[in-house]
Amino acid sequence: MKKRMVNIVIILVLISAMLTGCAGKNNNEVTNNSNSSPESVNSNSGNEADEVAAGTDTEEAIEISFYTTETGKDDLFLDLIEHFEETNKNITVEYIAAGDDQLQKWMSLYASNDGPTVALMDPINIFENQERMKAYNTTECPWLDNVYEDSLSAFTYDGQVYGIPGTAAGFGLLYNQRVLDEAVGGTFDPATIKTRSALKELFDKIESTGVAASMFTGVNWSLGAHYLGMVYGGYRGDVTERVSFAESEKNGTADLANDSVFNAYMDTFDLIAEYNYNKEDPLVGNVNIDAEAFATGKVGTWFMGDWAWTYIAGIDGADSEYGILPIPVSDNEDDLFNTVIPTSYAKGYCIDASQNTESQQMAGQKFVEYLCTDAYAQQEMIAACGQALPYKNCTATVESKLGQATASYIEKGLTYDFYGTADLLPSDFWYENGAYMCEYLAGACDRETLANNIASYWKERN
Amino acid sequence: MKYFSNNKEASVKHNRIKKNLNSILLFLLFAGPVVFIWFSVVIIPFLYGIGITFTDWNGLSINVNFIGVSNYIEVFTDSVFFGAFLKTVLYVIFSVIISNLTGFLLALAVTSGIKGQGLFRTGFFTPNIIGGIILGYIWNFIFSYALTGLGKSLGIDFISTSWLTDPHKALAALIIVTAWQMSGYLMVIYIAGLSSVPKELLEAASIDGASRWAVVKKVKIPLIRNSITICVFLSIIRTFMSFDVNLSLTAGGPYKSTELIAYKIYQTAFTKMDFGVGQAQAIVLFGIVTVISLAQVYFTRKGRE
Repeated sequence: MKKRMVNIVIILVLISAMLTGCAGKNNNEVTNNSNSSPESVNSNSGNEADEVAAGTDTEEAIEISFYTTETGKDDLFLDLIEHFEETNKNITVEYIAAGDDQLQKWMSLYASNDGPTVALMDPINIFENQERMKAYNTTECPWLDNVYEDSLSAFTYDGQVYGIPGTAAGFGLLYNQRVLDEAVGGTFDPATIKTRSALKELFDKIESTGVAASMFTGVNWSLGAHYLGMVYGGYRGDVTERVSFAESEKNGTADLANDSVFNAYMDTFDLIAEYNYNKEDPLVGNVNIDAEAFATGKVGTWFMGDWAWTYIAGIDGADSEYGILPIPVSDNEDDLFNTVIPTSYAKGYCIDASQNTESQQMAGQKFVEYLCTDAYAQQEMIAACGQALPYKNCTATVESKLGQATASYIEKGLTYDFYGTADLLPSDFWYENGAYMCEYLAGACDRETLANNIASYWKERN
Repeated sequence: MKYFSNNKEASVKHNRIKKNLNSILLFLLFAGPVVFIWFSVVIIPFLYGIGITFTDWNGLSINVNFIGVSNYIEVFTDSVFFGAFLKTVLYVIFSVIISNLTGFLLALAVTSGIKGQGLFRTGFFTPNIIGGIILGYIWNFIFSYALTGLGKSLGIDFISTSWLTDPHKALAALIIVTAWQMSGYLMVIYIAGLSSVPKELLEAASIDGASRWAVVKKVKIPLIRNSITICVFLSIIRTFMSFDVNLSLTAGGPYKSTELIAYKIYQTAFTKMDFGVGQAQAIVLFGIVTVISLAQVYFTRKGRE
């Protein structure tokens, strides 16, 4: 009996030792703790913080961390961190590369009380966790004026800015200029495609040259997040109308199967699917192999975004000229949405205020300021991503032909903000509905079943 | 006299304390680190996980509300979760049977005295030391491109389109890869069992004129029952918890047709950001696996008696 008691005591001592070990940081170091309200998270009045914000040289060494969910850009960010640290001697930035699953890694960091000071996250993730985030304000961050206002909409909640957008991504039907030039017997002009019928004629011309006309990469993120996402985008109206439609889906009053916007996009979807290069096995979906087919002229057009430059740029024997076509939604030449492309600011820099000290938060702001305003950072970012940046002082030129195409649409005012607001589409929208879209593309269900499946998804979110 | 008696009592007491202290020190020396690790990585996270099932935590939020057993009610009324469970049961049955049969046959082959059996053992075991994620990507390429290329060039319809884009074939592909990975591991356990079968018995059987199949059926299998119990137990546990191959080979596709239960839990917790429900699903899975595993061990032992 005594022996058992002794064992129990030992186990209790071990548990106490473990719990003490797991206690982590001193809460006094952190401005916010689990009892803090969101308001208290966003306030900062410490002298130390003021010093960092004012840019005065403090002797205190500050260590911050930067978590990015952009894959394949580790060299870029490590280079930028090195450059930043050269001019900010007292700040050390620990780089945390993207994990296999961006959310899992982020959540793990927070669970171990090691939330990254700066994180590059999707707007919906920042929105859903805004209570942990520090809001940017023009008093502390006068450089906020350098960011295009439109690009901030997906990161602004209740009038507070919680994220600074990274690159601007445009998407639609990418086209291979050489293939289309051969198809039309001259120089192809994207402005000639103003209707769905015109697109069909173009597809026929491409096919007559022995090249596949179009291509879907049969993966849930492309079909769910990007293609189906457009059904909830600008063609439906302004942000209020988009939110209103999503709400009507949740409460079951919307009739998606007979919805004109849904059917407009799905008619074009059927057209692309009919001419799909991957028609024989539509869900085999490999973005690298599809990029190779597109870049080497085996297919004329591809539903993707300008980020595809990352895949195309290194391909041997790739063509040199590319562009982006809008997804036409009707046969009406005067329909504005037949000529515009959606642009999205898919990721933004947010600053944690729940597990980082005030001085770390201010150092984090300096790092974000550097990423958004520094000429070298902008130049390197554009070169690596091949996409435009939403910063007014940016003079760096985009070398990517796809990025140039997006920039051209932006210059002409022929774009609309894909998101409009961060909380329009839930975080699992792409996964659940992407699966339904794949099912439809594979011909395993009809459009009515697809609409019913999507409607069921929304009702479960009510 | 009383003085001596007290002195003796004190001495006995002192010895007992010394003995206890020695026991404690021995315990701390040998079992302490293991108990510490076990508590750190198993017991505490498990209890913490149970606590989460009664909350609406999304995995990140600061404010957490206690919501009672709502998450469990959601789990038991979720037809998608039930569907994932049925798919998992199907996957487990086939994977366990195929991997154990293959493992046993391989073990028989490499203990039969064939030339280069050491090399074969290493070769068959190798898939098990390749991580599930890597293995999934390798087989993804094989099913999607290598086999389809072969099928198209030879005109074999059956493999000219990817197995991973067909809901039924994709589950079969998952079973094949799992069996391929696990059979080498099970083979090692079966080899250990077969090596312990007394040679005299095998010689006696052959002198009595027993055929090879009769020796396997009447001598080897009854004598390696312990190995069979261990292998079936391990394969049930591993296949029920299967996640990495599911993620990298099919990612639940095509259109969620191969979404096994562990993958479903992952999606609920990390994509839907519904950590409370995801954790409740994990606890339910834990219960199911515990019951099935204990039942399997019980019936196997009962059969031996």
